[in-house]
Order: sequence, then C-alpha cells, then structure tokens
Amino acid sequence: MSALLNKRLARSLWGTKLRLVAVIGMIFVGVFAGITFGGYAANIEPMYDSLYEDSETGTNLADLWIDNQSSVWTPEQVEAFCNGVMNSWPSDAASLDACEGRMILKGNLFHTNDTGDHLIPSLWHGIPVDADVDRNWFPEGHSEGRPAAAANEIVMDAHMTEILDINLGSQIEIGVGNGSYEFDVVGIAYHPLHIYLAPEGSIFPPKPGEYAIGYVSDLGMERLSGERVGSANNLMLDIEGTPSFDLPSTEEYEGEDLDGIKLVVSDSMDANELDGRIRDRGQYDAVEFMRQDLEGAKKSTTPFTVMIQAIAAITIALSLQRLVQSQAREIAILRTLGVPRSSLMTGYLFAPLFIGAFGSVLGVLAGPYGMNGMLDFYEELVGLPIIERSIPLELYWNILGLTMLIVFISGVFPAWKATKMEPLEVLGGHSDIRIGSNLLRKMTIWMPTSLGLSIRSSLRKPIRLSMTFLAVGISLMLAGSIQMMTVGLTDSIVGGLEEGQTWDVQVYTLPGGEGAIIEWAEDQGAINETIIELPLGTMEDSSGMERGFTLIALKGYEEGDSMRSVDIIAGEPPSEDSTTTQVMMDEGSLEMAGWAIGETRTIDVAGSTTEVEITGSVRGEVARTMFFLQPDLASITGIEATAVYLQLPNGVEVDESLANVSATIQDRQVLLEGINTLLDQQTQILSTIMGLGVLFTLAVMFNTMVMNIAERDFELATLRVLGASTVGIGTMLLFESIIIGFVGGIVGVAFAFGGAIGLASSFSTWQFYFPVVLVPSVAYQLMGIVLGIAIAMVPIGIWRIRRMDLVEKVKDLSQ
Amino acid sequence: MSNLKRHYETPAGVVKALDGIDFEIHEGERVILLGPSGSGKTTLLNCLSALDSPTDGSYFFQGEEVPRNHSEKMTSFRRENIGYVFQFFNLLQDLTVMENILLIQELAGKKDSARAEQLLELVGLESEKGRFPGEISGGQQQRVAIARSIAKRPTLLLGDELTGNLDTETSQKVMEVLVDACSKENITAVFVTHDESLVQYATRVIRIDSGRIVSDENTGISAILEEE
Repeated sequence: MSALLNKRLARSLWGTKLRLVAVIGMIFVGVFAGITFGGYAANIEPMYDSLYEDSETGTNLADLWIDNQSSVWTPEQVEAFCNGVMNSWPSDAASLDACEGRMILKGNLFHTNDTGDHLIPSLWHGIPVDADVDRNWFPEGHSEGRPAAAANEIVMDAHMTEILDINLGSQIEIGVGNGSYEFDVVGIAYHPLHIYLAPEGSIFPPKPGEYAIGYVSDLGMERLSGERVGSANNLMLDIEGTPSFDLPSTEEYEGEDLDGIKLVVSDSMDANELDGRIRDRGQYDAVEFMRQDLEGAKKSTTPFTVMIQAIAAITIALSLQRLVQSQAREIAILRTLGVPRSSLMTGYLFAPLFIGAFGSVLGVLAGPYGMNGMLDFYEELVGLPIIERSIPLELYWNILGLTMLIVFISGVFPAWKATKMEPLEVLGGHSDIRIGSNLLRKMTIWMPTSLGLSIRSSLRKPIRLSMTFLAVGISLMLAGSIQMMTVGLTDSIVGGLEEGQTWDVQVYTLPGGEGAIIEWAEDQGAINETIIELPLGTMEDSSGMERGFTLIALKGYEEGDSMRSVDIIAGEPPSEDSTTTQVMMDEGSLEMAGWAIGETRTIDVAGSTTEVEITGSVRGEVARTMFFLQPDLASITGIEATAVYLQLPNGVEVDESLANVSATIQDRQVLLEGINTLLDQQTQILSTIMGLGVLFTLAVMFNTMVMNIAERDFELATLRVLGASTVGIGTMLLFESIIIGFVGGIVGVAFAFGGAIGLASSFSTWQFYFPVVLVPSVAYQLMGIVLGIAIAMVPIGIWRIRRMDLVEKVKDLSQ
Repeated sequence: MSNLKRHYETPAGVVKALDGIDFEIHEGERVILLGPSGSGKTTLLNCLSALDSPTDGSYFFQGEEVPRNHSEKMTSFRRENIGYVFQFFNLLQDLTVMENILLIQELAGKKDSARAEQLLELVGLESEKGRFPGEISGGQQQRVAIARSIAKRPTLLLGDELTGNLDTETSQKVMEVLVDACSKENITAVFVTHDESLVQYATRVIRIDSGRIVSDENTGISAILEEE
C-alpha cells in the first residue's frame, strides 16, 4: 500500500514540475556553494601552512616583528638587542630560533616601457643570503632563479613581473630617496608578507603594475640605502614552533604564549634605546588579512549552505503542505479504508529526501568546478599560485549531511498534518468551513470590497505568508547584505578619496627629507602640504588588549584647511589650545576599543606614552587611525613630516629629480584605479551571489503566488461564473501582489540590513573595520526587486484564470 | 434555442450531451429542467449561461446571438444578463454576507449598498449582514447566494441543484424566497434539479433525456406571486 501511495505522491509532485525544478535548483546551489567555499578554504589553508613553514621550500614566517619607520638602528644596536632578548628569554617559553634585523624601505622603480618613463611606488627588502626568517618563496613551476646574494642582485616579486615585462636577467633601476641604482634580476619569487599586494595600511592593492616589491641582499641594501650592512628598521624573531597569538577576530585572548616574550622584547628595546612597535602575526596586517580571508571562507561555508537549504526547505514544506491540502479528500478516503497513518506519513517524509538527494548529486558534480573557479579567482586577485587542489571527503559528507537533514525536516510538518486529518471532518465538508477574521474585516471595511478581499485573502494563511516572508528575507539577506556592506564601504572609502581629497600625489620622505620635496614643488609651482602618517601608535583598549593604529596629522580639519578632508560624523575637530592633546579617531577604533568622544586616554606613540582627549569620530578609514593636529604630533614624535601632498599645476608631472629626493610617490588617481579594479573584481562575485539571491526570491515568490492562486481556484471560478471580468480579477490580484511585494520588500530590506550588520560585525576586526550604512539606493533596489517579482506574477495568475475550464470548475463546485 | 447541440470528442467516441434542443423561454417564466443523471440538463444550463459553447445550433438571447468560444465575451454576457446559484452556495468565506453581495455588484460596475440591503431584507437575512458565511446555516447561505445572484439585476437566473444540499424544509423555504424574489424583480429563472417536488414552484417543466427534450409542459402556476 505504501509503495502505491508514494507513487501517487511522486506523480502529484511531478505535476508541479516548475516548482520541483526550482527546489532542486536551490538545493543544488546550496550544495554547490558549500563545496565551493569549503573546498576553497580546504585548499588555501595547507598552502599557507607550507608557505609559512620552516622548511627547505617554506619561508619561515617570523612570530614577532618590531619596526620603526622613522629611524634606522645601527648593526651594533641590533646585535645588542638580540643578545639582550636571548639572555633574558623566558625559561617557560619555546626557544628562540632566530633574531634578525632587516632594512625595509619605501622607494621607487624607475621603469621605462613603450609609453615612456614611469616612477612606480615600491618597497625594497634587504634579505641577507643566509637569512633564516621571512625568506623568499620559490614555488616549483611558479617561480624562477635564486635569492639575491651580490650587491647588484635583486629578486623581484612575481606579482608584477609579467605586467612590467621584467624577466630573469633584466636590469632594473631603483631608488629609496638618495639617487638611483641598477640591479640585475636573479630571481622571480614571492614573499610571506606580500601574499596580497597591498601597501601597508591599505586593503586595496594598486592597479597591476603600479606597485612593485623587490628583495635585495644585505649588500644590495647597503648600496641602495647608504646604511651599513646589518643596519635595520625592522627586527624579526622566530620562535620554535608557532606560539599562539591573539586572533583579532575573536573575543577571547589567545596570546598568552607571547606575553612573556613580548615583555622581554620590550625590555631589551628599552635597554638598547630602540623605539618601535612590536607586532605578532595577528597584529601584522599583511599576515592577518590572509588569515581572515581564509577564516571568512571557512565561516561562510556552513551559513551559506544552511541559508540556501533553508529557503529550499521552506519552499518544499509549503509545497508539500499545499499538496496535503489538495489531496485531503483522497487521504481521508484512504484513512476511511483503513490505511495506517504510518503509510501516509512515509511518502511525505521521503519525498523531500529524494528531492534533496537529486539536488545534492547535481551539487556534488558541479561543486569542484565552483571551487576551481574560486581558486582561479583567488589566483587572479591575490596573484599567488595554488599548486595542489583537492576536496576532502569529509567536506562532502558535512555538506550532504547538513543538506539532507534540513530537507528532511521540511517534510515533517506536512507529514504530520497528513496523518492528523480526520476522515469524518474532511468528507463531511467540515474542514472547508472557515470563519473570516473580524479584525481583518474591521481593518478593511472602508476599502472597496474587491480590495478588502485581496488583503483578507493574502492574510488567510498567516503561517504560510510568514514562511514566505522568511524565505524572501533569507534570499534577500543573501542578495542584499553583502551589497549593502560593500556599497557602504565603497561610498565611504572611494567617495572620500574621490571627493574629499584634492591632492594629486603623495610624496613620502625619510625623516627630515621634506625640505627637498617642498623645494621641488615650489620650483614647479605646485601647492604643497606636509603631513605626518605613521603606523606606530599603540593603545590598550577597554578590555586590556594592546592595539596598534596609524597616526595621521594634518594642518587642520575645517573645510579648506587641508588637501585631505575627513568626514567627521560626530564631535568636533581637535583644537591646538587644549592642555591635553586633542585627537579624533575613526569610528571603527572608537567602537572596537570601547572608547568614546570626550574621554581622555593614554596611548603610546613610537615608544613614548602620552595622553590624548578624543574630540571627534571620523568615517571612511579602513585602518584604525588617530587624527592629530600636525604641531601636536610633531612635538610628540619629533618628526615634522613623513609625506608631502602636492597639487600639480597643469602640465607638471613628477620626475626623476623628485624621485631621487623622495622615498616613494603615490598618485591619487592610480590609487583610485587600484581600488576600483579590486571593487570591479569583487563585483563579479557579488553579482553572482546577488543574482542567486534574486533567483531564490523569484522562486519563493512564484511558489507562493502560484499556490495562492491555485488555492483560490474555488473563489476565482465562482467570480468568473458570476461574470467577473479578468480585468476585475486581475486588479484584485495586482493589489494582492503589491501588498505581498511591499511587505516582502520591507522584510527583505530588514533582513539584508540585519545580515549586513551581522556580516560586518563578523568580518570587522581591529585591522579591518566595515561600517554599515543603510544606503537608500540599495534598499530601494531590493524593495523594487521583490515588488517587481510579485507584480510579474499577476500575468501568470490572469493567464491561469483565462485558461480555467469553467464547465469543469462548475462541476467541481457542485461536488 | 434552435437545434442546439453539444457534442464531446472522447477516446471512446463522440458523446452527444445535447443533441438538437429546441425551445424558447419567455420573460418571467420559472422553468425547471428535470432529467436523470447524464441526461444533459447541466450541459444545457452551461450553454444557457454561456459557460459552455454549443457545437452546433443557435442560441438567441433577447434577439441577440449569444457569444460562443470567446471567454471574455461570454463572461461579459454572463455579467450583463445572468445570475447563477450553485448547489454548495459558494459564498466567499472571507467576506461578510453583505460584502458577498457588494463584491458582485462592484465587479459588475453596479455597486449599490441600498439595493444590497433591500435584497437581504427580501431573503430575510437583514439581521445577518455583518456575519461571515461560516457563521450562518446552509439554508441561510443559499438565501444569501440568491440575493447575490440577483444583486446586479440579471435578466435570467440559473440554478444547478440549488436545493440539493438542503433538507426538505429548508429547500422549501429557499424556493419560496427564490420565487418571491424572481416575482418581485421580474426575473426569468431556469433551474436544474432531480427533485420532482420543486415542480410546484415552476411555471413550466422541461424533461430531458439523452440530450433531447422529451416533454415540455406548463404547470399552470402563475409567474406573478399573488399577494397573500
């Protein structure tokens, strides 16, 4: 008997092919997305592990870094520091494997190609040939040559060699502010601190070919910088194994292993008069960014799968519930004939599993393609080769298990409803008797009767409607939350850079070098403004955690004071007359540190402690930033400027003479193009996710509207027999669709906004803060999508009414 | 109707549901169509109401040919001329008694609350106008359905087994209301039924079998209800 009943149910489901295909499609996408994201994470993680490991082929990523961009330590200072650390190394800590000093300098690449001579902002590392820590990575098949050894040798980072047409054996000209020097390219490789090619303090990589990184030997650095071999502005410590460090993305503190070591390091710095900040892997943006990207992919796998499968499950549950309703008489007859409840139940329980299995198989087949696509996208975006690709069997089981569990649950309620049917009630027609809602009557009594009926009909099944809105909400959460988050981010960052800043180039200088730049500017008739920008601030937040941040000092923050205007969203700009140094902070810093405007806090600037009063909050900074007035910060740091903003007159361009007196030159337009290129790439993924969300919304709305109309065959046929025109009925359906679309749209926007807040809070860390701004255009767009889909369903309803066989319907009405 | 035919093509061959129907109904008549199951009486009612299109023959209504094979024109014909009462009342459960009547008026472009009230008074349900169909009895629901069907002042009122779902006593009450309403509103009526006892309310009885009229008799009952 069960087999026959199940066959009957299968045939009924087959009768709703379009819905069936939509549901299978959703399950397919859920499994596909799960395998894509999960597979991506599963392949990226071992790649980072092998890249960072201390092995023949690995790079041996350091565990602690100390840097000071405003001064250079002598070889003697470096040695004394390392000895000091070694001598007082905590006995309970893992042993110190290496302590090395390095010079890392901003500079320029003097590049000539078909379009002329170009100055490309660059970063040059000095890596001794026998370096133990933070070495170059030469992956087999994706790199060339060997590490630089001689004074005229350089290894170029593989990210930009192709676009700049730099090959093994090429000769390049580079500088760091004291002339230019020729180097021979002996290697093309990667570096663990530059997996993602964004300059420090930014998450946006410049346009390909507009930023260069190279690795010279210690001898090469001596030649380039004029500083003795062994001089350093960076110190690296490698500790045996990988001591746990605090993860900025978690509430807990995981950095106990390093606490004692950091104390020893700090003492040794004090003893040797070294100023600088100490960072572990969690505090080093370049390393942390990649870890968070990976963590994001891992985190997304389950929620993405669950969200999509939940939409599918709701659709399955609603469809099965409708099927139970339409088959009520048959079920009642079968029950009267003695068919046990369990026989009726199995079909409704197993149907979702079959649907789920079918969608899952398709997802499993397509999943690897999705994963490879995402890994290809990673290679394109990040520029790092992924050598081995595979999907762990465990991932398949996890995704499939989750999917089948969710779809199984979707069949439980309809199955229970089917078995709870009382034959007497159904066959006696008692189950058809329904009393309208007095509340709805009172609410709609003033309306034309046809419109009142539309509203009452829409709300006739509040649970179904709520489930529909829930599914629409989840779909739009998928479509809208990422969009809301990125549009908000783009608006505040790109908008600020495009409209709030009027400089053409930012010329970086070594301490004290700004005079030569200003002289060049005055010769060329360029307007100039010195600024201080130092990533050297540290503070203890409200929870007692040490946080690093960037210090920026401008001449003023009123309109027209500076070429860089900041978006003050609360409070006032700092004043020079205050006894305590006044500062503003970006909104992310304030929120994450738990600080507030009006408070006086203690911070550490390049090793010296100072008190600041917070007067305002600023939007538009991805990095955590504190804004000072220039004289205030200059008096704390002793540095007058780290960069000069220039507004170039028409026809004036930066030239080699400027490059020779500056560390690096950043063109604002190039910076913007880089950001826009990245956003364009992101848009590809966003569009896919958004498209999926819209498709799901379409499927959910279609399902509900079709069910609504199918369920109202009785009343629509009655109205048709009584002479109601299709225009009249169509108007009712249109009104109904507008109501559902409007409410669905509001629910969708609320879900999307909630999702954006959730995403932002889950992705926001001290290093990368995502503000969520409800951009009206996005909200209108989302509402428009739902409303549009709902209204688009009206012609389907009218088409259904037009092809209604009234003779048959009258027969039904008479039975 | 002249030589009206309605044939259906089925895998088993052609089914002649109506096979040459000839009759004329005059204004004010109350006609009852009687016949066994499958005799074609419902098909005839469907053709009369322009729910179905005849295969052959002619059908004129007040001198105009009734549209066929055109859903919108047929709907328009029904809207302008036909009232319909169903066996199971088919009232809209989400609307009150009054609103069920108003909706039909509204969809026909003839909304008239005063008339709706008057009709409810006519069928004796003025006190139930704010209640939902689920809150009143079957007989009362059928009386609402009658009020609804004549709310837009149809020329012809059709009913298919309209007392088939009611007990004898309620059936009689409903028929009395119907006859009263038709008489007062000067509505011509045609009802399909199995129930011979309803003949007492008809001015004319047409018997059908195998798609043909087998008898057509006047009952001698006046179309105009005499005031008691």
